[in-house]
Amino acid sequence: MTEIALGFATLLHPTVLGFLLIGIVAGLIVGAIPGLNDNIAFAIFIPLSFSLSPTYAFALMVGLYCSAAVGGSIPAIMVKVPGTASAVLTAIDGHAMARNGFAGRALGIAITSSVFGGFSSALILLFFAPPMAAFALRFGYVENFSLGILGMASVIGLLGGSIIKGLLSAVLGLLVATIGFSLQTGYPRYTFGIDNLYEGVPFVPLLVGLFGITAVLELSEELIRDRRKGVASPDMPRITDSLFIGWPLAKRLLPTWLQCSLLGNVIGVIPGAGMLMAIYMGYERISHRYQRLFAGKPGEPEWGQGAPEGIAAPESANNAVVASSMVPLLSLGIPGNSVSALFIGAMMIQGMVPGPLLFIDHADIAWMIIVAFLVANVLMWPIAYALVRTISGMVFRLPKYVLVPTISLLCLTGAYSDENSVFSIGVAIASGIVGYATRRLGIPHAPLILALVLGRTIEDNLSNALNIGGGNWLIFLDPAEHPISVALMAGAALFIVGPLLSGARRRFQAQRRAAELELENG
Amino acid sequence: MGKTLLSKGLAVAVLSAVLGASPVLAADYPSKDVRIIVPFKPGGGVDTTSRILAEYGNKHMGKKGKLVVENRAGGGGIVGQTFAAKAKADGYTVLAMTSSVVTNPVLKETEYKVADFRPVALYNMDPEVIVVGASSPFTAIADLVKAAKARPLTVTVAGIATSHHMAGLALEDSAGMKFTYVPTKGFGAQLQAVMGGHVEMGLFPLGEIKKHADAGTVRILAVATDKPMKILPGVPTWQDSGLNVKRWTTFRGWAVPKGTPDKAVKFLSDLLGKISADEAYVKQMTDYGFPIAYEDAKGFAEVVTDYADITDKVIKKHGLKEKK
Repeated sequence: MTEIALGFATLLHPTVLGFLLIGIVAGLIVGAIPGLNDNIAFAIFIPLSFSLSPTYAFALMVGLYCSAAVGGSIPAIMVKVPGTASAVLTAIDGHAMARNGFAGRALGIAITSSVFGGFSSALILLFFAPPMAAFALRFGYVENFSLGILGMASVIGLLGGSIIKGLLSAVLGLLVATIGFSLQTGYPRYTFGIDNLYEGVPFVPLLVGLFGITAVLELSEELIRDRRKGVASPDMPRITDSLFIGWPLAKRLLPTWLQCSLLGNVIGVIPGAGMLMAIYMGYERISHRYQRLFAGKPGEPEWGQGAPEGIAAPESANNAVVASSMVPLLSLGIPGNSVSALFIGAMMIQGMVPGPLLFIDHADIAWMIIVAFLVANVLMWPIAYALVRTISGMVFRLPKYVLVPTISLLCLTGAYSDENSVFSIGVAIASGIVGYATRRLGIPHAPLILALVLGRTIEDNLSNALNIGGGNWLIFLDPAEHPISVALMAGAALFIVGPLLSGARRRFQAQRRAAELELENG
Repeated sequence: MGKTLLSKGLAVAVLSAVLGASPVLAADYPSKDVRIIVPFKPGGGVDTTSRILAEYGNKHMGKKGKLVVENRAGGGGIVGQTFAAKAKADGYTVLAMTSSVVTNPVLKETEYKVADFRPVALYNMDPEVIVVGASSPFTAIADLVKAAKARPLTVTVAGIATSHHMAGLALEDSAGMKFTYVPTKGFGAQLQAVMGGHVEMGLFPLGEIKKHADAGTVRILAVATDKPMKILPGVPTWQDSGLNVKRWTTFRGWAVPKGTPDKAVKFLSDLLGKISADEAYVKQMTDYGFPIAYEDAKGFAEVVTDYADITDKVIKKHGLKEKK
């Protein structure tokens, strides 16, 4: 308890608190600008933090990390351009709801869900870090491989129509993920002599292109189509309704929040899984719940056409990854994902090393970071509500023909600033064009994205697991040595079999209904 | 062969530097900002030490120019290293030179050679250490060596064909130990493998693991320095443990493109000397986990040659060079 008090005492210094507030506001803005995200913001901020007191630097970073995902949902809802990768699913139902005239409600759901998810993970970080870190340590190569397989399997339920196109999408992602040096040999693959590809296709510009540029190209297409037809493009949706979601909706969303927050927290704690995996798994789970309970009822849209759960699921899941990704970092010195890995750099620049010793050498800082996640999530709620109208009005009320070049420019600037490299601009443009082309061909993006995120994890952990296990493929199903892996594989099997079974059941029910109708009529 | 090539290259570099020196440029050096190219993202060991150096170095830089750190990441360091190799040799571009500048051109198809650089001075050495998890059955290096002679031990290294992997290969050659290599991307994943007991040991640079050893989550069994280190009480050297590897350390220093005027090289080399004598700097670097090891241009060139020799042997013997 004294440690928590020490954390609060450090944080509640007016200047430190001020930096936390700056971080929250900056995170909302950075998140809301397509092409900028927390990764890029930290890449720019870390060198500057060298001359800053560590308490200021970390307060700002915590605030920014917490609110960036909330900011990312604003353009996702208003213009269907995800501000950050974490909002890629929010854009589907969120924008549909906004088009239906409920932009305010969509934003309200996004903010409230984010705060719920974020607050839950801050509590995990504060009270359950040691046991969760011990759990994370049990993830070796075998477990991480199975986790990757589970992640890939989770998208099968999202494919809907064409399995072939889904597989094509996954294969494309896996192929791109093989670019760069092979961990097993140390030699480059498919780099064509380009040094910039040696560590793989730079990931931040790749995502900026895939989400930002693709969305811009789709916007342009709409513009051109409208102009050809000679009709005026409809304006982007505006906030005309209340931002507050009310108790009945909150009560209805509670099970979604709980389920997705739990998922986000578990995935956040495991090093190497990441935010995108959490939002896809949460979205998939909740889509079944929605089909079962709400779809087809009066006043309830189809899934993907503005379902409140379609916003609540990814938004609570992505913020639940935030503080929990700091659990292995602060307890063990092992980063939970790519953003928390940047905290290592920020700490190193201050002469600190994350891990158990941080709590001995710099207890004030370590505990300040922990309580800052809690405070940031509490403050984020009113701040996001207060600023969301301004932020969404600032850029996104622009006419479409101004919006298109503005967002393009922001995306390319963001891509460049991640590594100060012109090559990254090319990556963003190329992946944007590929993203647009695949969309036009009706190829779903979910398998592609998860394959990009998980391809390397799966390959590297597979080869290392087999390396250690002497080439025995059955280690992944060994209940004595690797019970976690067995459970993950069983989960993956359910993800694969589940959609097939429910599809068969639907067909069976349809047949029976047809038969009954025939009986009645005959 | 590698050594002769290298020393020839160095000779060429020095010669061209003397011939190509421009008296006008050199006369009032430095008359503008000197940029230190860090070929990695901000927040790593090379970046942090470069920023500390810039902070202390700027006290001696005068009014006309400052030391400015510039990150050019990508390609495992190759992008920034190539950039620096091709920069104008006027003394205003300095590369934060690490051991990989020596091995990258040997292992991979790079556009630069180590001879394209002129060593300026060395400021830090990071020795390789043998590490086990806190719950490992190996408590002394002798137990581990005995086990590694009987059957291959699983060892995690931060990438194949890195200095750390080569250290393992050198141990196999000289000490008769046997390893199964488990490569990871980065030191965090390596730490997870050692702490979680997913591998039996790890090869780390000391700077990356010291604080975790201090915290008691891992144990350092032996260090690859000539003499036991004061900051590692009770930890024997590899040589004293009968491993027959005298020294295995990566290094951090400054280098400039070949052809850079002597006067600029001397200024920068002396500047690192002045910084190294600053007590506050020594304390900060040591606290951060980067022990000071100053060598001037000549001494640094020897370190580079020495490192090229020991890695060359391993690369040739084990066929690590990229096959085209």
